[in-house]
Amino acid sequence: MKTLQLEFYKIKRRKIGLTMAAFLAVQFLWGLWAFHDPSEKEKAQGFLSLLYSLPVLDAVLVPPIMAVLASRLADIEHKGGMYKQLETLRRPGSLYHAKALCGLIIIIVMFAAQYALFILLGYAVGYQGHPDAAYYLLSYGLKLMSNSSLFLMQLALSMLFANQMIPLVIGLCGSLIGLLLMFVKMYSFLPWGGNLNAALVTMEWNPVNRNITYFYREYTPIELAAVGMIFVWFVIFYIAGRTLFTRKEN
Amino acid sequence: MYSSFTRAIKAEHLKLKRSPVWLAFFALPVISAFFGTNNYLMNQGILQSEWFSLWSQHSLFLCFFFMPALIGTFCSYLWRLEHLRTNWNSFLTTPVPLLCLYLGKLYQAVKIVILGNLWIFLLYFLCGKLCALTAPFPPQTLEWFLCGVLGGAVICSIQLALSMVIRSFAVPIGIGLLGGLAGMLLTNKGYGLLYPYSLYSIGMRANNPKMEIDLKLFAISSIFYMILLCILSVAGLRRHEQ
Repeated sequence: MKTLQLEFYKIKRRKIGLTMAAFLAVQFLWGLWAFHDPSEKEKAQGFLSLLYSLPVLDAVLVPPIMAVLASRLADIEHKGGMYKQLETLRRPGSLYHAKALCGLIIIIVMFAAQYALFILLGYAVGYQGHPDAAYYLLSYGLKLMSNSSLFLMQLALSMLFANQMIPLVIGLCGSLIGLLLMFVKMYSFLPWGGNLNAALVTMEWNPVNRNITYFYREYTPIELAAVGMIFVWFVIFYIAGRTLFTRKEN
Repeated sequence: MYSSFTRAIKAEHLKLKRSPVWLAFFALPVISAFFGTNNYLMNQGILQSEWFSLWSQHSLFLCFFFMPALIGTFCSYLWRLEHLRTNWNSFLTTPVPLLCLYLGKLYQAVKIVILGNLWIFLLYFLCGKLCALTAPFPPQTLEWFLCGVLGGAVICSIQLALSMVIRSFAVPIGIGLLGGLAGMLLTNKGYGLLYPYSLYSIGMRANNPKMEIDLKLFAISSIFYMILLCILSVAGLRRHEQ
């Protein structure tokens, strides 16, 4: 607990919250631009469509943001050359847990704020009905898991490389891969496809009348396996990150 | 002045020597080209303008999302050494005018944008040939290339200024990514020429079905931002302390 408190103390005035707020602000502005004038059909399907749009948007935008978050948490120790010294004060495992937990708390708050902002936007533009609480909670949970696994992967990379360019470029590549996967299939076994697996709603585009119909997704066994893979990645990156961190020499 | 400038360029070149930073400029356009070509091949029923349609698929995401962040990565790397330990002291006490120090970094950033753009257009040409496009390669690409370099130089200027002020390596890259995304919204609203992050994609004719832009306004806007950011950056350097 004390180590966790110290992590928050270290990031004080590092403006991590501001970076995450800027990400949410840009997403919200995009939402305002895209959804500000919905048709009657769009209003009827509004809250349903959000469960499709948000994961798709996150599949492209979140990987580099997770890279930024992980880099901000890890680079402070690189700059001070503190890894070795910290090991003499705390067990490396607890230090890793503190860093991971600190990032996960930020992720929990960030995505809660994202959902709250978009639900408010939905009400503001006149979406009919209310969001389905069970589906929204499930979607939120899956989103947390998939993005937390990305964060843990990026944290391991950021702690491994003193040169933060490498993890950040991997984060950018992840974003492109997320985009690529989106156009191939709505599921993937890769860590960057987690957000697509977590989309509980899918859509059908009618090229004749140019209408989009959203509906709840009926997961096939392979898609369910891809959802399960989110949890597998989380465990893999947690174990890999912890092992790499505890064995780190400098 | 000229010799100071060349010395600054040489110093920056030394700092970048054997750094793998160029790999990102090599890898990301390859993924984008693969994705763009694949998307073009799958939608040939709708995309019937051959080279122009292929370009629309190649350029859209690369120009709006990835190049600003990629340029941001390079600019953060250019300032990385200065932000380490007490290197600001040695940097600022170098017997070279501050303007030259800044221009040395800008030169390296613009150079990588030129090389990156050359690679993007080479991939575009190769993918077009692989798709067996029958029309001749559009000569307008030279103009897109030059405009892209000018727009890219504006992003270099803004990212250099951000990375100079912000000690973190990652934050300016995040700003670059979000700036590029906001650029897409503003370009769609018609305010792209007023916003520095949009200028690269406007110059490259990304998401522009007519492939036409107001060249005069584009050049004025780009040069204005470059001069403004140069003045601000040098002023920032003058006031900079360890």
